[in-house]
Amino acid sequence: MRELTLRYDTVLTSGGMTDDVALAAAGDVSAFERVYRLHLPRVHSLVRRMAGDRDTDELTQDVFVRVWQKLGSFRGDSAFSTWLHRLAVNVVIERFRTDTARRQRLLDGEDIFETLAAPSRSRDLSMDFETALTKLPDGAREIFVLHDVEGYKHHEIATLLEISAGTSKAQLHRARMMLRRHLRSDGT
Amino acid sequence: MTSDPFTDRLSDYADGELDAAERAAVEAHLAGCAPCRTALDELGAVAARAKALSDPAPPRDLWPGIAAQIAAPTARHPRVSPFRRALSARRFSFTLPQLAAAAVALMVLSGGLVWMARSGDPRADFDPVSAHLEAPEENAPAVRPANFADEHYDEAVADLQKTLESGRQALDAETIRVLEENLAAIDRAIDQSRRALAADPANIYLNTHLASARQKKIALLRRASALASMGS
Repeated sequence: MRELTLRYDTVLTSGGMTDDVALAAAGDVSAFERVYRLHLPRVHSLVRRMAGDRDTDELTQDVFVRVWQKLGSFRGDSAFSTWLHRLAVNVVIERFRTDTARRQRLLDGEDIFETLAAPSRSRDLSMDFETALTKLPDGAREIFVLHDVEGYKHHEIATLLEISAGTSKAQLHRARMMLRRHLRSDGT
Repeated sequence: MTSDPFTDRLSDYADGELDAAERAAVEAHLAGCAPCRTALDELGAVAARAKALSDPAPPRDLWPGIAAQIAAPTARHPRVSPFRRALSARRFSFTLPQLAAAAVALMVLSGGLVWMARSGDPRADFDPVSAHLEAPEENAPAVRPANFADEHYDEAVADLQKTLESGRQALDAETIRVLEENLAAIDRAIDQSRRALAADPANIYLNTHLASARQKKIALLRRASALASMGS
């Protein structure tokens, strides 16, 4: 009778299933809730600022439902927070795309500030910076949030919002010019 | 929009978006325009303030609504059938962390199984068992082909386990221990995949891993059965 000895190399994940993202990708709802609670403040703030305080809670929920659906596509070639953040931006922009009036305002370029009622809102100098941000005209607010708050480049914003880089730059400048008044009233 | 072309370029200047000629022109203007210098400082302060914004938690807990949607897909978030998802997917890409739940056995086997046989003379190594199904060996017991649907898969596994059991005495204790550990790991991975799929049966990733884990169980049982047959 021959003796048989088996040798094998084992590579096990350290500690088994300890990565909440991996667990959630495998269908663990409790793990996904932990992922949600960890990232909620940043996602909710991003959505609130981009959407101007409209439908923020519903959009935030939409983001996390989309995350749940797309977890299998996360390849780990970037930080999970980066992937999640980009997905959140896409969810908000997709909602904007259904608003044709909003889309037209983005394409109107420099006419935007002449047609919208922003001046009356921006005269309230007691408004703090964060509140003033949400009151900016839609296009300017989205671009300001993406560029100055979230760090996107103009060519990235142009692709996301389907506008020209020139329009992105012009609207960013307008947003900054409007917000500087509230910077003074903000005490900063 | 102001009529001052230099004021309108201040943000681009602050962000480094101007070419050399434009930048020089703005700098020349700034040297003689105090209001523009003030505006430039304020624009920079706005950008800095934006970067320093905090992210407070929302006042309302949104989890119940999310949990309800992921548990019961609605019209706003319809569940995509596996067939449709397979048609639209360009590729599957999975990270190593994503394999944790259902892939313990895959990683156990992907390192390679090296079977060594001793017959009193110097050891002879068998070829490592790869993670893929191999062509049936000459001494491998006849096995009903497994298509990994539950019924046929279970029958194939039962056949192999029966064959293995009949030749078990030909394997040494260490081999049996390692074999049982590997089978237990694969069975845990299969069980975890099945439970996860119960909540999300359309998940292509989980279906793929369940099929892969079953494939590896079949491969392991076939190899072990073959060795048990040779030794008896």
